[in-house]
Amino acid sequence: MKITINSKEIECQSDKTILEVAKENNIEIPTLCYQEGFEARAVCRICMVEIDNKLLPSCSTKVKDGMIINTESKKVLEARKINTELLMSKHKKAYFGESKEHELFKIAKDVGIRQVRFNNNKKVYIVDKGIAIITDNNKCILCGRCVQACQMQNVSAIDFAYRSYHTKVTPAYENKLDDSVCVNCGQCLLACPVNAIYEKDDTKDVLKVLKSKKHVIVQTAPSVRASLGEEFDLPAGTLVTGKMVSSLRKLGFKKVFDTQFGADLTIMEEAAELIERLKENKNLPMITSCCPGWIKYIEHFYPELLNHVSTCKSPHDMFGAIAKSYYKDKYKINKKDLVVVSIMPCTAKKFEIQRKEMKKEVDYVLTTRELARLIKIKKIKFNNLADGDFDSALGLSSGAGTIFGASGGVMEAALRTAYETVTGKKLEMLEFNQIRGMSDFKEGSIVINGKTINFAVVNGLGNAREVLEQIKNKKCKYDFIEVMACPGGCIAGGGQPIPTNKEIVQKRMQALYLNDKNNTIRRSHENPAIINLYKEFLGRPLSKKSHKLLHTSYIKRGT
Amino acid sequence: MSFKDIDEIIKERKDNLLLPMLQAVQARFGYISEANAHYLSKKTGIPFSQIYGVITFYEMLYTEPKGKYIIRICNSPSCYLNGSLNLIRFLALLLKIKSGETTKDKKFSLEVVSCIGCCDKAPAMIINNKIHGNLDEKKIKKIISGLK
Amino acid sequence: MKILQNSNFRALSKIAEMKPEEIIEIIKKSGLSGRGGANFPTGLKLEFTRNSQGEKYVIANADEGEPGTFKDKLILEKNPNNIIEGMIIAGHAIGSNKGYLYLRGEYSYLKNKLQQVINNAKKISDKLKIYFDIEIISGAGAYVCGDETAIIESIEGKRGNPRIKPPFPANKGLFNNPTLINNVETLANIPLIILDKNWNNNLRLFSLSGNVTKPGVYELELGTSLKELIELGKPENKIKAVYFGCADGCIPYEDIKLDYEAIKEKGAMLGSCAIIAVDEKQDIVDVTTNIAKFFEYESCGKCTPCREGTMRILELLEKISLKKAAKKDLELLEELCRVISATSLCGLGQSSTVHLTTALRYFKKEFRDKLK
Repeated sequence: MKITINSKEIECQSDKTILEVAKENNIEIPTLCYQEGFEARAVCRICMVEIDNKLLPSCSTKVKDGMIINTESKKVLEARKINTELLMSKHKKAYFGESKEHELFKIAKDVGIRQVRFNNNKKVYIVDKGIAIITDNNKCILCGRCVQACQMQNVSAIDFAYRSYHTKVTPAYENKLDDSVCVNCGQCLLACPVNAIYEKDDTKDVLKVLKSKKHVIVQTAPSVRASLGEEFDLPAGTLVTGKMVSSLRKLGFKKVFDTQFGADLTIMEEAAELIERLKENKNLPMITSCCPGWIKYIEHFYPELLNHVSTCKSPHDMFGAIAKSYYKDKYKINKKDLVVVSIMPCTAKKFEIQRKEMKKEVDYVLTTRELARLIKIKKIKFNNLADGDFDSALGLSSGAGTIFGASGGVMEAALRTAYETVTGKKLEMLEFNQIRGMSDFKEGSIVINGKTINFAVVNGLGNAREVLEQIKNKKCKYDFIEVMACPGGCIAGGGQPIPTNKEIVQKRMQALYLNDKNNTIRRSHENPAIINLYKEFLGRPLSKKSHKLLHTSYIKRGT
Repeated sequence: MSFKDIDEIIKERKDNLLLPMLQAVQARFGYISEANAHYLSKKTGIPFSQIYGVITFYEMLYTEPKGKYIIRICNSPSCYLNGSLNLIRFLALLLKIKSGETTKDKKFSLEVVSCIGCCDKAPAMIINNKIHGNLDEKKIKKIISGLK
Repeated sequence: MKILQNSNFRALSKIAEMKPEEIIEIIKKSGLSGRGGANFPTGLKLEFTRNSQGEKYVIANADEGEPGTFKDKLILEKNPNNIIEGMIIAGHAIGSNKGYLYLRGEYSYLKNKLQQVINNAKKISDKLKIYFDIEIISGAGAYVCGDETAIIESIEGKRGNPRIKPPFPANKGLFNNPTLINNVETLANIPLIILDKNWNNNLRLFSLSGNVTKPGVYELELGTSLKELIELGKPENKIKAVYFGCADGCIPYEDIKLDYEAIKEKGAMLGSCAIIAVDEKQDIVDVTTNIAKFFEYESCGKCTPCREGTMRILELLEKISLKKAAKKDLELLEELCRVISATSLCGLGQSSTVHLTTALRYFKKEFRDKLK
């Protein structure tokens, strides 16, 4: 059909919204409450356009043949200005974060607001300082994107409460987020256009400990190297491993290690665990355990199914355990002086390390964003850095370790090791394409010594319920399931650079898969550092020592 | 803590409609406590945060106990034009509480509300489902002392 | 009053033999339109809903909340039979077996009586092989739930936030199914239309209140002069202005015809025929502030212009009342009115400023006199 936007005739398909058609034709209409991939709620009223002397929201209005649309008329601009001013007056002025992330300020600037003619926000809310996530209602403009994101995750820890000007986004009965079913995945954080939700800042503490005489070591998650560059204006998907390592050295970390080493270790233990369960035909399907958002989810919503979860700790926790035993002893470091910092794409990890079961093996978690802030605070010129290398002791890793950051990566890494250790044969093709990519739910099967193993990958917490209900009703056909809370995997985690949208996530994903492909070692069980660790220290996977250091237990939290 | 009453309420509603369930809980207990709302959420599968959102949206649903008599006095135009504002002030002084509060002896709660549909008897108020119209200070005094 | 004529289910017996399409034709021909204020042709609504796919529902809107309106209460009290009968007939016409009577919380004292009427009606309709279940859902104190889509959200167990339209309830309403929503007065007229070939579509129930000594519901013809109605109310003092509820604006008192066109020409709306008389002892700025407070309190909070705007309007009016406002504040008020009415998501927000724009149009002096 044909429509007209700002006097320009445009061909478009029916059943599209005005906003979609405008986007396709590079016509910019500002939006605030609109989130791609979610149902348009049309509540902010910023995207209004003029049709037939009336103003209609472009995000939810479908195009009709012959429609004449004006996106910049006097009426539109007056409305846009007032509605933006009204939101600005609601939003506490000082904000935490970069202006790139702040969508409201950008709109205010584009609309030409020099002053807000309404008194600043009258209500004063107490800031909810959680272990991992902080929510500040004083900045909230009630766009509802966080509520939508949390509903998409099937968690619904937060929702709107009260009415009219007193409307507020909150957990039930004004409980703190930490006292609700919040799993700390941070999808709400990524969704918020005004930094009303942000991670707990650990940069100050880390800087303090770096200044001290302690032996501070750092490990970096796979996802960080594929995303950190975005914080320094490098295109999404640029692998910045070398620069990342160098910047960490400049910050003063005594050793720069790789969480991917921990990932390889996780695969050794988890593959062995899977093989044992398959032999005994007990506690199947087994479900991965490296995602702390997922763990808290099942502890709250399906505690009766906890026996299915692998007892393996997550890679960075395993690393921490090894650092504070094997590494500490080997290199004769005083326990009091050893500090382990993890750089993670994840906000839930900040919660994870505080769990009693983790025994403070990792001391601090910094998100990708916090690391970028540290680098900027210390005036390190990231883009000019020469590439550095990880320290070898706990820094050597395989390609299997790298792909942990993408949805399907843990599964793929585990299958590589499980298949080859049981059959003694090499896999013809190391890539499991059927479980790569952004689909909500991916599945496949593999024959190991005559037995068909069915596996599945759940991408995004909202997609976990179906398979969990199957397990509950004893109707599940899978043997091994990977669950990642964040859609796309850890590369789309709550600690990642903003924006994190589908396009950018796919680019980060590709960087990790390329990293795997280019690695000489692509299987966790072929990592010489891992082989050495077992030889010198652990013995074999699932040994008594491995169980003590590398495995954990869960809590039946209920709702 | 027994949730038998809540179980019964849920059982009555095969369609799982939340508003009538909340009203039933309130009819039984006078308000909807966090524990009751949480149990309701657990058994019905309706998210806890949604239940709180619904309770706090509606003026006649409470998360805290109210007085034995809930006085809803109207301040919309028809009543306003007939002197409701002064009566509200009078009532507040009489009960020694402000709008939104409950008396210490938990007997009366005072709420200033929007039009209750008694404009032909303005100024008017509702106390626990009973309408009192054509109010003046004398009448209000009589009604309140009758309830004491 | 004609509206209080109890049809005693005679209309139900009559339509039991008719085809649904016939019933809809009768309603269409009668010209009956929504009495909740929107004035939409009821026959068309029935037709749209009937022609949609899916399990159908009927909702009777008894959430009368517009200040100054109490006509629905009269019918609920004095002639509930007609409402229930109208619901069943409408349900039968669109092919529905389930109806909800959404009764505002403040009218809960009528619940038991209404339930008896429903039980009685069920016995009669079952005998006629018309199977229709009606359930009473109590509102819980929210003016916005008088909005069609807000009622639907409320029944579904959510906050009473209005929905984006389209889709319209006739296509996608309760539980995403085709839903017919009608005001109780509209429904109460259906049996009368079926029984009386000469049913008068020009009668309206005028709720008169405010500065009059004989407030009440007056059943009069459209086109009756405002003067006649006010005189029936026997005001003590001279009347200065008349408000059509809170949502449909005000006009200076004059001998004007009470019909849709004449009132619209003046910048106000006849709406649900609520007439609030304001006498010369009243301060229009005070009345305006009181109404602004109403909208600020009742805004559901979903969309920016209504949630934020109604609060800012109240803030500015209070500033004017305290004689702390300047000319630019009046200009800001007018700008806010334009944007709130043009960009609000639902009828509440869209009509929350008419009272102010009309007050400024006709009584600007009273506002100007209070400026610094």
